Amino acid sequence: MAAAIQTTKLTKSYNSRSGKVNVVDHLDLHVEEGEIFGFLGPNGAGKTTTIKMLLGIIYPSFGEGYVLGKEIGDMDVHRLISYVPERPYYYEHMTGLELLKFYGSLFGINDPALFERLLEKVNLHRDKDKTISQYSKGMQQRIGLAQSLLNDPKLLFLDEPTGGLDPIAHREIRDLILSFRDEGRTVFISSHELSEVELICNRVAIINKGVIARQGKLTDLLRGGRIEVTVDGFESAEAFLKALPLKDTNVRTLPSGFLLDMPELEDTSSVIDSIRGAKGKILSIVPRKKRLEDLFVETVSSKQPSKTITVEESAGANQ
Amino acid sequence: MRPILSIASTTVGEAIRRRVLLIILLIGVLFLAVAPGLGVLSARSETTVLRGMMLGIIQLTSAVIAIVLTVYMLPNEIERRTIYTILSKPVQRWQFLVGKYLGAVSALAIMMCLMSVVMVLMYWYQQHAPISEIANLLKAPMMYFVQMSLLAAVAVMFSTFVSPLVNFFLSGGLYLVGSLFNPFFETLSSNNNTPAFTKTVAKFINLVLPNFANYNVQNPIINPQQTIGNETQYFINVTVYGVLYILGLLVVGILIFDRREV
Repeated sequence: MAAAIQTTKLTKSYNSRSGKVNVVDHLDLHVEEGEIFGFLGPNGAGKTTTIKMLLGIIYPSFGEGYVLGKEIGDMDVHRLISYVPERPYYYEHMTGLELLKFYGSLFGINDPALFERLLEKVNLHRDKDKTISQYSKGMQQRIGLAQSLLNDPKLLFLDEPTGGLDPIAHREIRDLILSFRDEGRTVFISSHELSEVELICNRVAIINKGVIARQGKLTDLLRGGRIEVTVDGFESAEAFLKALPLKDTNVRTLPSGFLLDMPELEDTSSVIDSIRGAKGKILSIVPRKKRLEDLFVETVSSKQPSKTITVEESAGANQ
Repeated sequence: MRPILSIASTTVGEAIRRRVLLIILLIGVLFLAVAPGLGVLSARSETTVLRGMMLGIIQLTSAVIAIVLTVYMLPNEIERRTIYTILSKPVQRWQFLVGKYLGAVSALAIMMCLMSVVMVLMYWYQQHAPISEIANLLKAPMMYFVQMSLLAAVAVMFSTFVSPLVNFFLSGGLYLVGSLFNPFFETLSSNNNTPAFTKTVAKFINLVLPNFANYNVQNPIINPQQTIGNETQYFINVTVYGVLYILGLLVVGILIFDRREV
């Protein structure tokens, strides 16, 4: 699949009193067309700086980047992309409809039917004549998404699209983002809302202190969960362990039976067969999934993110 | 051209809703409205005082509006992040800056027009002056408009690299120096008795400093005994000077803004 975004050693440095600081440090990013890509990181990790570089708003100090096959900063690309900033502010004196007309005019678009369609898509057609100052946060986010669709973009950059919204607005924005993917658009989301990202993103990258610490398919990155198997029918924990085809496995004795705690990646079927072969009785099998939050905390807690771990094992593991 | 016009019209929409500008404008209009009553306080001819006072009010109010309007324009766009959404569209930075400038100048024109209308109404009400006299009076606000457009260009240029507060004093200071001291530097640079070094410095300052004094045409209007030689030619010359200077300032502003991290 073609790359919607490809960067090589993209770096942004600023001079500070203590010397040169790399806010974004040799960033190698790969986003495929048609996917929802989550760009995660703690505050000050370099997420917004990266987006600004990709949009051509600020200039890289080093490295190169391509957006939809063209070098970043190329004005032709701006006709094919869109951006909704974090906590967007729009001209408050405008109505929703006027806002779309204004942003449309920047593309040379003056299509009343399109404006109506977009207002309907984001469920603001009844509020199109209200001024932006009368809009709630969720409505402002939705009008932001409507303006981002004016040019029928191939690639959307959304910076914290659900930040500070209530659960209902969350859901509305999430559904809209999913509809963008269904329409064949690539969506690049920078977010803190890990549960949201886990629900909608195909691939993610975690940036910490300007360095990409993890990047890959969510399904691959979240591998390494555990499976708990509760069994009965063995005389002792040692007897149970002997029956297993696994080494270095944790078995706990329960009031009624034994609990086997094994990594998700182990061959579960052979373990089950072995238990059955030894006349053991399986009481329950409970998968303990690794959450994105665990991965995120684990990644950003590591003291020195020095090299990128890219996980691209299962080619067909798209969500 | 379309993005420039869209940005300009949005800037006008914003400017005419800014409370601080409306308050300054209101104060100016109120002073214009009470100006006829204040003329009696002076020992000079009532008409002379009235003309001088009204034109002075328009000039001062317009200068304050021009500075306040432009010094916050760019920093506000950056602080509120509206600039990012606009620059992520097919809009070049120079188009953005020119659009903002044209919007500011248009808003200024609207506000100056309003003050001029109030001035004309009050003058006509007080003096029952003929149309020709009123038309003559209006020449000054027209020249002030070019002056304020030049001042706005100075402030927009500075706003690409200094904070609003610094810009306020820089632009205001330059306006005062360019209005009050330009004739002084001009005399120094053309006087044969001036030492060579002082002459060169005066010439340089005279060349670099925008000559705001060009547009202070109120004296011949206030005192009809004073005249400008070829008035039409003079107005054309100083307008062309202003437009060229504005273009130069905008080019400098664009070059700085183009390299600036926002």
